[in-house]
Amino acid sequence: MKILVSGFTWVYLDPGSGSFILQILLAALLGGAYAVKVYWKKIKGLFIRSSSQEDKERINADREHDE
Amino acid sequence: MTSNLHQASFRDPSGFVFWRDGMLFRQVNRIYQKDYDCLIRSGLYSSLVRDGLMVGHEETQEPPELSELAYRVLKPETVSFISYPYEWCFSQLRDAALLTLRIQRKALEHGMTLKDASAYNIQFFGYQPILIDTLSFEEYREGEPWVAYRQFCQHFLAPLALMAYTDVRLSQLLRVYLDGIPLDLASRLLPWKTRLSLGLATHIHLHASAQKRYAGEKISTAARGKMGKMALLGLIDSLEAAIRSLSWKPRGTEWADYYRETNYSDQAFEDKKQRVEEFVSHVHPSMVWDLGANTGIFSRIASGQGAKTIAFDIDPAAVELNYRECVRAKETNLLPLVLDLTNPSPGLGWANAERQALVERGKADMVLALALVHHLAISNNVPFQRIADYFSQMGEWLVVEFVPKDDSQVQRLLASRKDIFTEYHKQSFERAFNEVYEIRADHPISFSGRILYLMQRRQ
Repeated sequence: MKILVSGFTWVYLDPGSGSFILQILLAALLGGAYAVKVYWKKIKGLFIRSSSQEDKERINADREHDE
Repeated sequence: MTSNLHQASFRDPSGFVFWRDGMLFRQVNRIYQKDYDCLIRSGLYSSLVRDGLMVGHEETQEPPELSELAYRVLKPETVSFISYPYEWCFSQLRDAALLTLRIQRKALEHGMTLKDASAYNIQFFGYQPILIDTLSFEEYREGEPWVAYRQFCQHFLAPLALMAYTDVRLSQLLRVYLDGIPLDLASRLLPWKTRLSLGLATHIHLHASAQKRYAGEKISTAARGKMGKMALLGLIDSLEAAIRSLSWKPRGTEWADYYRETNYSDQAFEDKKQRVEEFVSHVHPSMVWDLGANTGIFSRIASGQGAKTIAFDIDPAAVELNYRECVRAKETNLLPLVLDLTNPSPGLGWANAERQALVERGKADMVLALALVHHLAISNNVPFQRIADYFSQMGEWLVVEFVPKDDSQVQRLLASRKDIFTEYHKQSFERAFNEVYEIRADHPISFSGRILYLMQRRQ
C-alpha cells in the first residue's frame, strides 16, 4: 500500500507511520465491530427492559390476584 | 523570587511546568490557546475533575515564566509523591491504562482527543490513578486516527502483556525504554500463544509488523481523514478489551507469604507493632517512607495516623497484594511501590534529569526500616555506615530494627555463604548509626533478640 504526501499536519508526538496506517487499514473492521457491539447492547437492552416490564406486569397481576 | 523549569517538561510546546518559591505552576502557551479554551468551554475539564480523573487547577494572575509565549498561568493541584511506571505493580499499571482509555472516551464525547497517552502523565492519589497533564488534549477532527495509539501500546499494553504472559519483572524494561517498550521487542518476547488473542495479535504483533513495513512512509491528508469516529471508538474499545483480558496473580515469589513464614511469635509481632505505633505518634510525621514494607502491615500504622505513606518493596507480588488491599479499602494515604533499595530508581532521560532519582523526589519526615538492615548488610554486603548515610538522606527520623546474627532469618541468609561479617553485631551497628543519628529510644522486642530503635538525624 502506498499512501502519498499531500500536506502534512504537524503533531508533537511522532505517531509512527505504521501506527497511523494500521489504524486506517483496520478502521472498517474496528468501526464495524464496535457498531455491532453497540447495537447488540441496545437490542439486548430493549429485550431486558421488555422482559423486566413483563415481570413487573406479572408481579402486579399476581398481587391483584392475591388481593 | 526563585523559579526554575521542571526538567521533564520540555517536549510539548503547548506549555510547561515550573517551580516558583516552592510552588508548582503550569504555563499554557499561546500556541495551545484554542485547545485550552476548548477544554474548558466543552465541559471536558469540569467533567474530568468532577469525576476525579484529572487534577484540578486555578487560573492565577502569577506572572508567566516565559511571557513572550504565555497565554495562562495555572496553579494545579499537586500529588504528594511522584512515582514512575517502573515502580508500579501490575494492577497499578493496568488501572492507569484503563484510566487513560476512559479519559480518551470522555474526551471524544466532548469533541476532543488525547494527543498523548504517556504513563508518566498518570500519578496516584493513594489507590486512585489520576491524569496530571492538563495539556494532553486537542480538538478532535473527524476522520483522524489516534495520534497517541503507538504511545499507548508502548507505555501500557506491551509492558502489561509482558508482565502477564512472560515475566512480571519485565516491567523493569520501562526503566530502559523511557518512551515505552518498543513493539518489535515486545512481539519477540511474548509467547506464541499471544498471537491467538485478538487484541494482542492486532495491537502488538500486527502493529509491530506495520511499523516495520511502513517505516518512514508519508501519509496523505486524504488518507489521514479516513478513520471515522465509530472506528476510533472501536479502537479504544478494542484496546480496553485487550487490557482487561490481561491478569497477573501474585504467587510463588520471594516474599508474598513472608508474614506466614516469619520466625517470631505473635507476642513479639504485637510488641513490635505497638512500639512502632508509639514511635510514629511521638514524632507525628506527615510523610513516611516504609522501606521493605512487604504487604504494608507496618505502613498502615503510619497511614492510619494520617501520615502520607509510601510502602516500598522489592517484590512485585508483595506490592501487588498491598495495592489490592489499598483499592479494596479505598486507602488514600498509602502508596505501595516496587523498589530495589540496593539499586534505587536513578535520574533518567535527557541529561539524567527527566525522571528523578528517588531521594530527589521529596523527603520523608520518618523512614521505617523494619527487618531490613540484615538484608542490606549481609545479602548485599553494605557496611552499616553506608546504610545509615543513605537512610539519613531520606528523612530526619528513623525507626530501624536490628536483627542479631543468631536470629533464624539471619542464619538463613548465611546458610549458603561464608560468614565474613565479623562486624555484624549490635555494638558496631549502634556505633555506625550514632555517627549520623542520635538514638532517641531503643526497645528490645519481647520474645526475640531483636531491637527497635527510634533515631533522629544529627543537625
